[in-house]
Amino acid sequence: MAHTDKQTAFRLGVLIFVYLAILTALEFYVAVAVPSVVVLSLIALAKAGLVVYYYMHIYRLYQETETDPNSYEYKAGTLRLGLWLFLLSDAFVFGGLAVARFNLWGMTRPPFNQVLGLIITSVLLVSSFFMNRAETAMAHGDRRNFVISLVITLLLGIGFLVGVIGIEWPSAIREGITPSANTFGAVFFMMTGMHGFHVLTGVIFLLIVLRNGLRGLYSAERHRAVEAAAVYWHFVDVVWIFFYPALYLIGTVV
Amino acid sequence: MKKILSLGLVRGLLWQIAGTAAGALLVTGIRALMGLNPWGSFLFTEPAWVVGALTGVIAFVWGVGALTDWFKWALGEETPEHREDPPGWEKYFGVSLDHKVIGIQYTVTAILLLLVGGLFALIFRLELAASGMQFISLQLYNTLMSLHGMVMIVGILLGVAGVMNYLVPMLIGAHDMAFPRLNAFSYWIAPPAAIVLLSSLALGGFDTGWTGYPPLSTRSPVGIQMFFIGVWVAGWSSILGGLNLIATVMRLRAKGMTAFRMPILVWASVATSLISLTATQLIGLSFQLVMFQRLLGMGFFDPAKGGNPILFQHLFWFYSHPAVYVFILPGLGVVSELLPVFVRKPLFGYRWVAMSSLGIALVGFLVWAHHMFTSGMNEYLRVPFMYSTLLVAVPTGVKFFSWVATLWKGKIETPTPMLFVLGAIVVFLMGGLSGPPNGVVTTDLHLHDTYFVVGHFHDTMFGGYIFPFFAAIYYWFPKATGRRMSEKLGKLHFWLLFPSFLVMTFLMMRVGLLGMRRRIADYDPALGLDFWHLLITISAFLIAASVLVFLYNFFRSIKHGEPAPGNIWRSRSPEWQVPSPMPVHNYEEAFEVVGEPYDYGLPGSTYIRFNGKSH
Repeated sequence: MAHTDKQTAFRLGVLIFVYLAILTALEFYVAVAVPSVVVLSLIALAKAGLVVYYYMHIYRLYQETETDPNSYEYKAGTLRLGLWLFLLSDAFVFGGLAVARFNLWGMTRPPFNQVLGLIITSVLLVSSFFMNRAETAMAHGDRRNFVISLVITLLLGIGFLVGVIGIEWPSAIREGITPSANTFGAVFFMMTGMHGFHVLTGVIFLLIVLRNGLRGLYSAERHRAVEAAAVYWHFVDVVWIFFYPALYLIGTVV
Repeated sequence: MKKILSLGLVRGLLWQIAGTAAGALLVTGIRALMGLNPWGSFLFTEPAWVVGALTGVIAFVWGVGALTDWFKWALGEETPEHREDPPGWEKYFGVSLDHKVIGIQYTVTAILLLLVGGLFALIFRLELAASGMQFISLQLYNTLMSLHGMVMIVGILLGVAGVMNYLVPMLIGAHDMAFPRLNAFSYWIAPPAAIVLLSSLALGGFDTGWTGYPPLSTRSPVGIQMFFIGVWVAGWSSILGGLNLIATVMRLRAKGMTAFRMPILVWASVATSLISLTATQLIGLSFQLVMFQRLLGMGFFDPAKGGNPILFQHLFWFYSHPAVYVFILPGLGVVSELLPVFVRKPLFGYRWVAMSSLGIALVGFLVWAHHMFTSGMNEYLRVPFMYSTLLVAVPTGVKFFSWVATLWKGKIETPTPMLFVLGAIVVFLMGGLSGPPNGVVTTDLHLHDTYFVVGHFHDTMFGGYIFPFFAAIYYWFPKATGRRMSEKLGKLHFWLLFPSFLVMTFLMMRVGLLGMRRRIADYDPALGLDFWHLLITISAFLIAASVLVFLYNFFRSIKHGEPAPGNIWRSRSPEWQVPSPMPVHNYEEAFEVVGEPYDYGLPGSTYIRFNGKSH
């Protein structure tokens, strides 16, 4: 029974990832063929909605049956609420940066390589898939798959950081878009820097979870740290779902 | 010596000094290796001071011990859920997880900061007592005036946190906040933030006022970076405190306490926390962007690089207007909480008052640009923001209507807390009535940046927060100490403060209407304002004298006040049904809410019942 449960959960994760991949491809096609801000915004919202519902399990906030305030379940629910409140707060930082981008750039964008943007976006999206797989595995007590998927997530997360800071930043500077050159540089480095900082904290969080997971501290019933790390990691992905079109797709190159 | 070093606060301060030095020296060393000039006009260069200030704050929090349990958790170790505090006064100088201790830490820190901010005001008010520059320099005037604003704001934020932290868990029957360690962390980042903020005095000060608008703030001395970092860190204290409070109220209420049986102060605290949780990020972001513009030349607000200074004002006011609701909502909650106790009547229109706090908070998110009518923003934004601003008067009016109707035909008693409640209502009414002229575009174009705004603002802050803060201290002092403050000195405090405060703010509005600009160090004697300014300064000193009376009363009563172990105000609220001072884990027996909170004077009505089950 538990086994089929697990297979169903894994399959749902794959299905959602396929949807996300199709939407990302569609988004790229729309941006290249018929640049429409409305369509791009709707696609980004749909992607964010899929991640928030199926990968971050926002419905767990109001699907709770435990009423004893001293139980592990109830305390885990309080922590879950606290984390979501934190993400709400954090979302305002990124919202403020998006406001700065649209105020200062308007309907223009810097001449970045759109394919490179698509590649680093895909890396983060795939990492979200493996994060979900790791959490699902732990929720069913499957420690082996948990560790494998978590390690892949970590590697992809580090790969994303390398892609942004090691490849995208130097190539922007080569094109003359330095932090101090103009508002293209200022906003680009601030947005990717702030987001990269969050990816970095997520990587540290995952490393802690990996270490404690290898020491056998989590079980199918008690793994709230794994869930918290997963929700945080997906949140960082959701932010990039909006930042990617804002930086690479919306507007005309000047 | 060993005993002093065992105090968390002392360890934290030593760590902060070491952390600042380490961070600053690191940057200095890197600069030297890169061939850049390693030393600046204040010993270190500006980047070195910025990094040093940040590492100093982190070192303080580490040194005080607020991170220890989290590190243990990350390493997979378990820690006990509760930690016993030492019995004496030492627990107030180190990390405690008890919300009552943290509440008192917040409150005392708030009082200290309010005193510092008030002292700055006394200094520059003395300078303004007569036209011409008498004894301070223009730069020092600007720094003191700017710091007065921000130190007071941080002080009030900590005072708000103190009131909410101490009271909300008690009022809802919880034994602590939802996240006790986060609560301690939120408090312990505030003292280093205040130190960084005040250190701007030593680093050249800054001359922008508390708003820090670019482009002026991009040209100020290094002090402005200390201002930015201090506010940013204090903002985190406010954000995390708000997060904790919302989680506490949503998860830890006593049995039977449905939303519409919560005390009004709890409603107000939730509304306040929603603002501080979300909007605070944007003042942090706006200051951060200026910080980076100064450090790396990023051109966010520099028109020469395509930047837009108006963008700063939008980001800044998106927090800084709702911020005033963060200050006043708990204050108005205290007024609604205490009024029925001293009128012995039910609170009029409980549901409407409960919802009005949320209403003010939500409308408050939509009014920020009324600070920018003269800024040169798009003109079509003016009228919508004017109307949304005037809309705030509706939920505020609901509160006033409720207070007046509650007072109507009540058996009014006037011990000191009630005097401050009535004073709050009167002063806040003056602040409320002088608000619309600032919110309406036509009149604001003339009133903008005059002393009229200063008078209006001080009325709302004192009526909305300071008077209720004093009322709350006089009212709940026995709950914390088991002794009550002197009534005689309390009344002296009130009757010194109330009239002189009204004189001060009315005259501020008057000189504003007569053409006095705000924030400037000097004025033309031909304006004929010397006499009025002298009167304002004298009133300010009378206010200071009343605060000295309060301080004497406060510290004397801790040891020598009249013992008050019982329910001295005949309150229905749960915290007064157990002996004072409050036991460590609040309620030995859990209680259940069986009735309405404010049905004073109705025969046979009960609010809570202790059901004998401990939790």
